[in-house]
Amino acid sequence: MELIIGQNVSKVYQTGEITVTALKGLTFSIPKGAFLSVIGPSGSGKTTLLNLIGCLDKPSGGTLLVAGMDVSSFGKTEAAVFRGDHIGFIFQNFNLIPVLTAYENVEYPLFMVRNIPAAKRREQVQDLLEAVGMLDQQHKKPDQLSGGQKQRVAIARALVTDPELVLADEPTANLDHDTAMSILALMKKIREELGTTFVFSTHDSRIIGEAESIYKMEDGMLKTNECGGDFTHG
Amino acid sequence: MANLIKIAARNLSRYKRRTLLTLSLIVVGVLFVTGFMAVTGSFKTLMIGQITDSFVGHMQIHRKGYLAAIDTLPLTMNMKPQAVKKVETLLKETPDIEAYSMRIKFGAMFSNFIETTNIRLNGINPEAEAKTVPLLFPRISEGEQRLSKGEILVPELLAKGMKVKVGDMVVVIATNRDGSVNGKQLKVGGILESATGPGGRDGYVHIEDAIEILRMEQMEISEIAIRVKEFDGLHEVFRTLETKLAGELNKEGKPIFEVHTWENLSPFYNISRMIDIMTFFIKLMLIAVVLISIMNVMIMAVYERVREIGTMSAIGTLPRRILSMFLIEGFLLGAIGAAIGSLLSIAMIHVINLAGFTYDFGRQTGIVLTTTVNIRNLLVISGIVIAVAVVASLQPALKASRMDPIQALGYI
Repeated sequence: MELIIGQNVSKVYQTGEITVTALKGLTFSIPKGAFLSVIGPSGSGKTTLLNLIGCLDKPSGGTLLVAGMDVSSFGKTEAAVFRGDHIGFIFQNFNLIPVLTAYENVEYPLFMVRNIPAAKRREQVQDLLEAVGMLDQQHKKPDQLSGGQKQRVAIARALVTDPELVLADEPTANLDHDTAMSILALMKKIREELGTTFVFSTHDSRIIGEAESIYKMEDGMLKTNECGGDFTHG
Repeated sequence: MANLIKIAARNLSRYKRRTLLTLSLIVVGVLFVTGFMAVTGSFKTLMIGQITDSFVGHMQIHRKGYLAAIDTLPLTMNMKPQAVKKVETLLKETPDIEAYSMRIKFGAMFSNFIETTNIRLNGINPEAEAKTVPLLFPRISEGEQRLSKGEILVPELLAKGMKVKVGDMVVVIATNRDGSVNGKQLKVGGILESATGPGGRDGYVHIEDAIEILRMEQMEISEIAIRVKEFDGLHEVFRTLETKLAGELNKEGKPIFEVHTWENLSPFYNISRMIDIMTFFIKLMLIAVVLISIMNVMIMAVYERVREIGTMSAIGTLPRRILSMFLIEGFLLGAIGAAIGSLLSIAMIHVINLAGFTYDFGRQTGIVLTTTVNIRNLLVISGIVIAVAVVASLQPALKASRMDPIQALGYI
């Protein structure tokens, strides 16, 4: 069962008189429950691809279906609602809200995006904090946490709305090797327990091997599919 | 909503020094405006009270056209007994009227047997006048606080100039409406302290003496001064009387009467209006202070939190929720500033009263400045501050809510 289907997806940026083609007609599919890494050098189009899948941007051409919806037709608000319902995000710099505690950061999408009642929120947040091993740190603010702890909180925040897809842009770039490996192990464990699809971009050769599928990108094109998945170059 | 308020409050505590600085600007602005309004308000209230309670009354009724010709005190424009009766009936039927007083106003010559000068005289019924303008008799600085038949109350300046004192006999000579001259010897019953405004130079005689001096066959009244029960309801009573009296027409189909409130009868009203205009500009300054300080702090907040806004947007926060969050921050700044400013204003007003500042106005000296806390004013000022704070946050909040998440996430 495919969660993401791209047909001849392209993305062109126009900056003044300069036209940059970031993605050149990608056709690909990502099945539900995949644990997929998008790799490639800087400027190869990894982040652009993740932005399109995450409905943060629209393709310039082609069709992109995410969870059965044609995301290229979404307006700003529709895209926000879709992201809140279907997608979780993990960022390289963790991007936790500094004035909120670990608990409140995880709780944030439930009241700002989903409007879940307080009692139910508490249960969900505590379950997830326990799952990522951060329950005992729940009252700390981000500046009191280590990089690995922050990323664990960020993973819990990405998962708290029970999304079908989690997109992680360089999730281990700011972490040491052991922490990076433990974060990947955690993501994998969650994928196994909840069936969530993980798509993450990385440069980090140490963790590429942890992915079950790898899309290698170069110059806006998918070059190789090293394990699983399906793509063609249009 | 509670969570939005919590986040907004936490965001304000993020840069404590900046928040405190902005709050202190708002607090100083509120203090300044409320202080100014309390002082000028107390001055206005005191002066209006002095003017209306000393001689003008809250309202006056004249024959149509009398006020335009009041400088000459024309006896030909007095109200006839039938007309007076109509007005009296109406006044008795109006429950909001506390008292009224009939006056015969006329110009006369005042002689101490050596020198002669002009005087404006009011023939009054002392009991009715005391009820209508209760500060008239307390203004008697020498002599008993009453007016009997055969006596005259002489204004202080005239008494000094003519060197008359209580108990002296003087002669008042006046021309009646037919042009004949008549005089009457009167005893100086009291010296009237000067009050603010033109009425401060008026003398008073008993209405029966006025009728005698003017050789009136029947009592013809120049003006009817009126005191209402509630000063705040003055204009409502005025409109009622004006409407009812507008129906009283002469043979030519023109109105017989004219009604005026104290505003039309005293030049102090112009000072009062100037105070109102100054208060308006002071309020504008407060609005500018709040607008600029909050807009500045909110614009900085948005620029400092671009990546955070991008993150919020990426995880699915709707633009209107982001807008609300920043508006609530502005609202909280305004509300906290207004609350602290109001509390400090109340304290400041008490301190001013305890200090017992005095000031002089005209010939009145040593008036103690007694300010009062006007809750309505505090609420209006707080409302203005909060509304301006929200408006000032609107542009930064809109900017935040419209941010493109990709650009915001990549912002350094």
